[in-house]
Amino acid sequence: MEEREIAFLTVPFGPQHPASGHFHALMKVDGETVLELEPHPGYLHRGFEKLMEYRIHPQNCVLADRLDILDPFPCELGYVNAVEKIAGLEVPKRGRYIRIIMTELGRILSHITWIGVLSMVLGFDSANKIAWGDREKIIRLNEMATGGRIYPCYLCVGGARRDISQEFVDETSKALDYLEGQLSFYDYFVFKNETFVMRMEKVGRMTAEEAIDLGATGPNLRACGIDYDVRKDEPYEVYPEVEFNVITREEGDAYARSLCRRYEIAESISIVRQLLNNLPDGAFRMELSPVWAAPEGESYFCLEAARGEKCFHVVSDGSPFPYRVKIRPPSLSHSLVQFPYLVKGSAIADVPAIYWSLDPGPADVDR
Amino acid sequence: MISNIESDLKSKFPDSLLNVASEDKRITLLVKKEELYQILSQLKDTGFNHFSDVSAVDYIADKEFELIYHLWSHREKIRAIVKVRIPREAPAVKSVFDLWTGAQIHEREDHELFGIDFEGNPNLSPLFLEDWEEIPPFRKDFDTRKYVKEKYYQEDEQYPIVKG
Repeated sequence: MEEREIAFLTVPFGPQHPASGHFHALMKVDGETVLELEPHPGYLHRGFEKLMEYRIHPQNCVLADRLDILDPFPCELGYVNAVEKIAGLEVPKRGRYIRIIMTELGRILSHITWIGVLSMVLGFDSANKIAWGDREKIIRLNEMATGGRIYPCYLCVGGARRDISQEFVDETSKALDYLEGQLSFYDYFVFKNETFVMRMEKVGRMTAEEAIDLGATGPNLRACGIDYDVRKDEPYEVYPEVEFNVITREEGDAYARSLCRRYEIAESISIVRQLLNNLPDGAFRMELSPVWAAPEGESYFCLEAARGEKCFHVVSDGSPFPYRVKIRPPSLSHSLVQFPYLVKGSAIADVPAIYWSLDPGPADVDR
Repeated sequence: MISNIESDLKSKFPDSLLNVASEDKRITLLVKKEELYQILSQLKDTGFNHFSDVSAVDYIADKEFELIYHLWSHREKIRAIVKVRIPREAPAVKSVFDLWTGAQIHEREDHELFGIDFEGNPNLSPLFLEDWEEIPPFRKDFDTRKYVKEKYYQEDEQYPIVKG
């Protein structure tokens, strides 16, 4: 009998917002089973690394925000820290505290948004609406401190652009109390929900060896039992002065990744409280000219963003413009390497669950 | 630990190590292109199991690219930075895809944006750009502003960007 080639169906995933968030992939499917997935990123490629070469440092902080829409503070923090490292600047202590308060609030913001989006793609729209409502609490804090809701443009080389007020401290404490109460609600409503557990458990599982080989970082790696957290392993800013736990799980499946993020929210709340209680007085930034030039040199700075290890490699030639900026985004390996690897052989219905359990940011992938 | 790695590398690759600088939790190496793969492979065996990144810098005045490999050891909690200089004309190095699967995508990105060839990488097709016909856009001799002005603006329109 003549052999025939079987024509498999090709189904697109994305790029509609918000289901995949400006990320497109083509799935080759056999019935309900995904055989292969080919990612096609680039919908948000703006070439920031090149654009930064044309701009001075204060302008680049504004660009750095746009690197990851849901988690902008670590992008700014990474850029300014890399530049400060070249120049050997000593940022005032209050400035450092303010930076980490905002970065940790940003981590809570990113994780709560993620609870919403994940619930939505699982067909659980009520949790999505509630999460987006809770997110607003932090966005208002952002607005109060920085003037911007989503894009703060807040950190600058030498400190932060504005000081935080006592009113902000009080409002933050209130918001944190509220969010802490909401966490037990999310436990009941989302994380211990029978449907949620059934959709997430044993789905998209990877071992620790696989995760390391594929370049996983952040909660995705910690869900496999590896306690890699840049905040602990290469401490920066004021992290040596605060106490927090690195959340790890052993299972390595989508459910473990979800729980890692859920418990990280609680750790971040505790970090912000500690910093607010010990907030020092004094200057919050150094007075630098806008066209201040970093001396010749280069630096490599890594930090723990909400999505994982984010690194900035900045080369300066002594002019006010950086000679080269290279950003290592955590989502690049999450959505272009681990995602295609994990969906192989899974059901089509599990694809969004796996994708959002990895929490990639398409803007972070494309830059 | 870092001093062990340093002495180990120095005894195995005496000719290829051009410079070694070590900090508290970081070791920076400048190596020759010829033995780059062997040195990276040796580092992987030493415990550097996480491939963080490979970035490229275009030193156009020196007519060279610098490739910078960033590795992390989950066991020892230290970072290794391996730098190599390659000529700007027909730049090529051996791919490290077989040592770390995660390295493939980073090499593909550098291939697209700098035109560096990673020999042995199974997929170097364009990643972000579509129908790109110019020189690789992140090279220093590619002028983004000129390109945007020529491609997207009419002649009588004002140039809207602050000149740097």
